[in-house]
Amino acid sequence: MIALVDCNSFYASCEQVFRPDLIGRPVVVLSNNDGCIIAANKEAKALAHIPMYEPIFKIKQQLVDNDVTFFSSNYTLYAEMSQRVVNILHRFSPTVEVYSIDESFLDLGASRVQTYQACGQDLKQTIFRDTGLPVGVGIAPTRVLAKLANKMSKKLPEFDHVCVLQTEKDRLRALRWCSINDVWGIGKRHADRLRRIGVHTALDFTRLPLAWVRKEMTVVGERIWRELQGERATELIIDPRIKKGIGTAKSFGKKLKDIGLIEEACAYYVSEVAEVLRSQHSCASTLQISLTTNYHSNKDAQYSNSITITLKIPTDDTFVLISEATKALRAIFKPGYRYKKVGVNLLGIIPNDHLQGNLFEDFSMNSGSLSKTLDQLNVKYGKATVGSGTLGRRKKEWELIKEDRSPRYTTQWKELLTIKV
Amino acid sequence: MKIDLKGRLTHKSERHSAGVSQQSGFPSPATHYREPSINLHQELIGNSDATFFIRVCGHSLSEFNIMDNDVLIVDRSVPPTSNLLAVVIRDGNFEIIRIPKEGMTESMIFWGAIIYTIHRAR
Repeated sequence: MIALVDCNSFYASCEQVFRPDLIGRPVVVLSNNDGCIIAANKEAKALAHIPMYEPIFKIKQQLVDNDVTFFSSNYTLYAEMSQRVVNILHRFSPTVEVYSIDESFLDLGASRVQTYQACGQDLKQTIFRDTGLPVGVGIAPTRVLAKLANKMSKKLPEFDHVCVLQTEKDRLRALRWCSINDVWGIGKRHADRLRRIGVHTALDFTRLPLAWVRKEMTVVGERIWRELQGERATELIIDPRIKKGIGTAKSFGKKLKDIGLIEEACAYYVSEVAEVLRSQHSCASTLQISLTTNYHSNKDAQYSNSITITLKIPTDDTFVLISEATKALRAIFKPGYRYKKVGVNLLGIIPNDHLQGNLFEDFSMNSGSLSKTLDQLNVKYGKATVGSGTLGRRKKEWELIKEDRSPRYTTQWKELLTIKV
Repeated sequence: MKIDLKGRLTHKSERHSAGVSQQSGFPSPATHYREPSINLHQELIGNSDATFFIRVCGHSLSEFNIMDNDVLIVDRSVPPTSNLLAVVIRDGNFEIIRIPKEGMTESMIFWGAIIYTIHRAR
């Protein structure tokens, strides 16, 4: 049996662990640079007139009027809390697929029938006791059904956040309950189309002939169909394959006209993604840089462009990547605009042990050792302690605004939770 | 499956590690006696996934030997038994109490047990 454990409104819950005064009250978390709402707890979602994904400046007054507490995103805290949850899951099963920051699948093996409910309760209670985070647990024979069980555990109060689909009766009830657009993996387009031919629930879907599903919805549809029948068609991904692309694109704290500052920000992001690249022992063969103005503004002239360059040889060297990125940036930069965002993407990622040298290029295996030393120093002494000179000292000029970020309670001595007595 | 982990976790012991001498001249006679240095986390923390550090600000807890600016090591997985020092929530605020003989009162929510106080000697 497979369990899907996911944290209820994870970002907001992380904040509430350290702010008990906010329990039972609406809380939202804003995206990088406080652009829009990216997470809301149950109480905030109940205030239906607060639109998610709307630029924050348009709705800030509404939040204040409704007594909604908002936080800038504190990914350092969320990542650390997430790791705690994953560690706890490993006490229950050696096979854990970390699906996202707040969702994991566990293979519970074939325990005795009556124990799944107890196991789900135990998962829920242990995670809450140890971390303060509330979770929902769905347990079923396949990943797609576990996802469905998890949804039921939250939507139907009788389950109280633990739902086990074990018998054929449980399964049919779940399929009948689940509308076709809520089936994991079926996109809006397919769902619309299915509804037009009279498929409204997951149960209707499983009654379609497999040949039709395979023809119209490819192998992906077929897997969902099989998994809904209770047949395992996907396996847990314990060791995620190397990412095909690593990228970052963050808005500046303010609009920038000066190419020097944009170059600094760009170099900083390159050094961040290069570090990820090295951590997964791979090299990138393609670099993509994008530059955009603020499309929300109707006062400013708009310009955006991006450039993709193929590196002579794949590399993981921060300094090579920064120098290439800077050249690329200069090629697309046009003076006179107020820029909002620079994006860096590494593509064509190849594991180091598959590298092929270029016959005409100097291919030294030692080239990345300076970058590796940087990584070690930065792990030991804190992020961006050392780096390329291009990073400069003017980070304040372009750094993200995180005005309302909560303290990094679990990773910084200076930001510990403080109790006044 | 029932997993109960309220007490200490037992860690894999990381004691003896044989190695090759790093010295270029006469090899170190200590090579086969190396052990990892003392690690406070290992000694003070039973369940690291449930442990949080909290700073105290103020002078009113000297009866518990907790002074201004001390750091508490708080383990959420230790059950709230009587006489234990604990962090609790009352009316949405954190408080530090000694859990009374009768156990927790209804107006309080247990947050975690204080297992150590880090106090700077002055």
